[in-house]
Amino acid sequence: MSQGQSLSHDAASPDVLQHYHQLAAHAAATQTWVNPQRRQALQALETIHLPRHRDEAWRYTPLEPVLGQPFQAAQREDDLLTADDIEQLRLTPSENWRVVLLNGFFMAELSNLPEKDRDGWEVLDLRMALEQGHPQALEHLGRLSHASDLFSALSTAMASEGVFVHLPAACKLEQPIEIVHVNLSFESDFITQPRLLCVMDADAEAVLLEQYVGLSDTVCLNNQVQEVFLGQGARLRQPRLQNESRLARHLTHLYIEQQADSYYQSTTLALGGHWSRTEFHANFAGSGAHCDLNGFYLSGEQQSHDMHLDVIHAVPNCSSTEQFKGIVYADGRAVFDGNIVVAQDAQKTNAQLSNDNLLLSRDAEVDTKPRLEIYADDVQCSHGTTVGQIDAETLFYLRSRGIPRQQAVAMICQGFAGEIVETCAWEPLQQRAMQNLQKQLDKVAAGL
Amino acid sequence: MLLSVKDLHANINGEEILKGLNLDMGKGEVHAIMGPNGSGKSTLSKVLAGREDYEVMSGSVTYKDEDLLEMSPEERAQQGVFMAFQYPVELPGVNNTYFMQTALNSVRKARGEEELNSLEFMKLIRGKLKELNMDESLLKRSVNTGFSGGEMKRNEILQMSLLEPSLAILDETDSGLDIDALRIVADGVNNLRSPERSMLVITHYQRLLDYIQPDYVHVLSGGKIIRSGDKSLALELEEHGYGWIKEQEAA
Repeated sequence: MSQGQSLSHDAASPDVLQHYHQLAAHAAATQTWVNPQRRQALQALETIHLPRHRDEAWRYTPLEPVLGQPFQAAQREDDLLTADDIEQLRLTPSENWRVVLLNGFFMAELSNLPEKDRDGWEVLDLRMALEQGHPQALEHLGRLSHASDLFSALSTAMASEGVFVHLPAACKLEQPIEIVHVNLSFESDFITQPRLLCVMDADAEAVLLEQYVGLSDTVCLNNQVQEVFLGQGARLRQPRLQNESRLARHLTHLYIEQQADSYYQSTTLALGGHWSRTEFHANFAGSGAHCDLNGFYLSGEQQSHDMHLDVIHAVPNCSSTEQFKGIVYADGRAVFDGNIVVAQDAQKTNAQLSNDNLLLSRDAEVDTKPRLEIYADDVQCSHGTTVGQIDAETLFYLRSRGIPRQQAVAMICQGFAGEIVETCAWEPLQQRAMQNLQKQLDKVAAGL
Repeated sequence: MLLSVKDLHANINGEEILKGLNLDMGKGEVHAIMGPNGSGKSTLSKVLAGREDYEVMSGSVTYKDEDLLEMSPEERAQQGVFMAFQYPVELPGVNNTYFMQTALNSVRKARGEEELNSLEFMKLIRGKLKELNMDESLLKRSVNTGFSGGEMKRNEILQMSLLEPSLAILDETDSGLDIDALRIVADGVNNLRSPERSMLVITHYQRLLDYIQPDYVHVLSGGKIIRSGDKSLALELEEHGYGWIKEQEAA
């Protein structure tokens, strides 16, 4: 965290900031809808500063990859992807419900969604929902996301593209909805800004399965903001596989609000990209709810992955588990910044946070910072962090069974990752993730 | 001669543990090595299996007419050396079946044999479980993860029966086992006795040798074998304790 690096960004900030002000102003001028949250975000942009290492939330995050150049707004491309391309990528059966976003734009012709109004649930192009004045979309969009940094503010100020999911009370979807995010462009330095807005009424149940794929090797910034509203007793699982191309920058702000007795589970697997950062902001609004956040990162040559958690236990009798693991090799970097706050009124809270890291090389670096802020007195909370290398006795055990060293190393890493990967509970996604992992780890293990 | 250890000196962390150990084992023979704590029993088994933390200072180990000390741990396993660990390692997230199939196929590949596919492997392992009177639930779990002491040792014996070693080293396999678990493990070992397989049974207590009857008994003390005999030596030791033999040596 050299002083020089911070200074250079602060010095560069007027240009980059001005660029994004212009982008937002242009978007505001051309859009046909507005809600109070969007107006606030536009105002917030006026006073916001660029992320810098002095900010606690960005202390260890490399900034150059996202602030080093101004990113241009991505344009809608209609004929780049074919149904065959999606057939290659999909992780659910081809007749299943599926949404395809290309550079953040909802591609209706590549998606597969049921007839309108079937059972009352909706999966819509967010832009259409907003332009047609969909009341829930207008009410909820931007209600959880706050202008905590330039990119979340920018997303809300410019929001228009993405997916809107709404499930009415007691609606239980029997198959996952797959969301395929594809980045593909022949031009460099563009920013995509899709939103996911998911509103689930009481006792609704769904699985949203997401994958992020980069099909072109150009520099791009994928600036995702997701808002999930879970009504009383609603249940959502959200496995996410981030497999961006090696020059991509990937930023996700994920906001969750849970009413009483609701259940949320997500697993984020950060494997691709040059730079990635996932922020989880979870809030409990009613008691008896459970939130289960899992994550895994594999960070190698010229990669950095960040995971940031802000889990706020504001009400009593809620539980949360946060289990994150990572493997860092070569000159890879990772940051884990996990914060759990238990408010004074949040008695009987149960929160278990852990972060375990495997470092495979001398140059690998992980900065891990688990934090518990507890203001209630009758709670069960724990946090634990480990940073280690491959255990010599474990490696010997495998080799003593005839397994060659390289394969033994890869097996140990796969087992380590496997514990998180299996929480996706979707076999094809797990297989895709493990194949990707294995391919990278075989190379690494050969060099150890 | 299957295994011939000559004047072996070995260190760990700069401290000399084995101080001139000699041992010869023929094909199909069962040898027991007994000794008090700190005599070098575990060091001997780990040096034979190839744990890199142990430094061999001098002496030689010849196995099937080759220099064992030149081989990596995986080469030794591929050549038929197997050590059942005193403390087997837990591998969370690694499925036990996948682990054993990988091990067996690594060994088969090195021996120039055809690798087994999942179906063939399942057939084989089910047969082994039946022979050893073990439960199939062991296969579905992560390797040794959350296993009881008895389950871990049984899992070791299962791996041994799968890999069909020429030299099996049982490193204090009896430690931490109650009498029932001990009997099951001993039955497993006895099942695997064959004219093609030599066994080196390392133990602190005579108890295990009630169940696994050795052809030869050696007493290890101060990093050397100070006395060798047949199985009656184990009984004498049980009666008089290790102090007796040390006194005899001193006299």
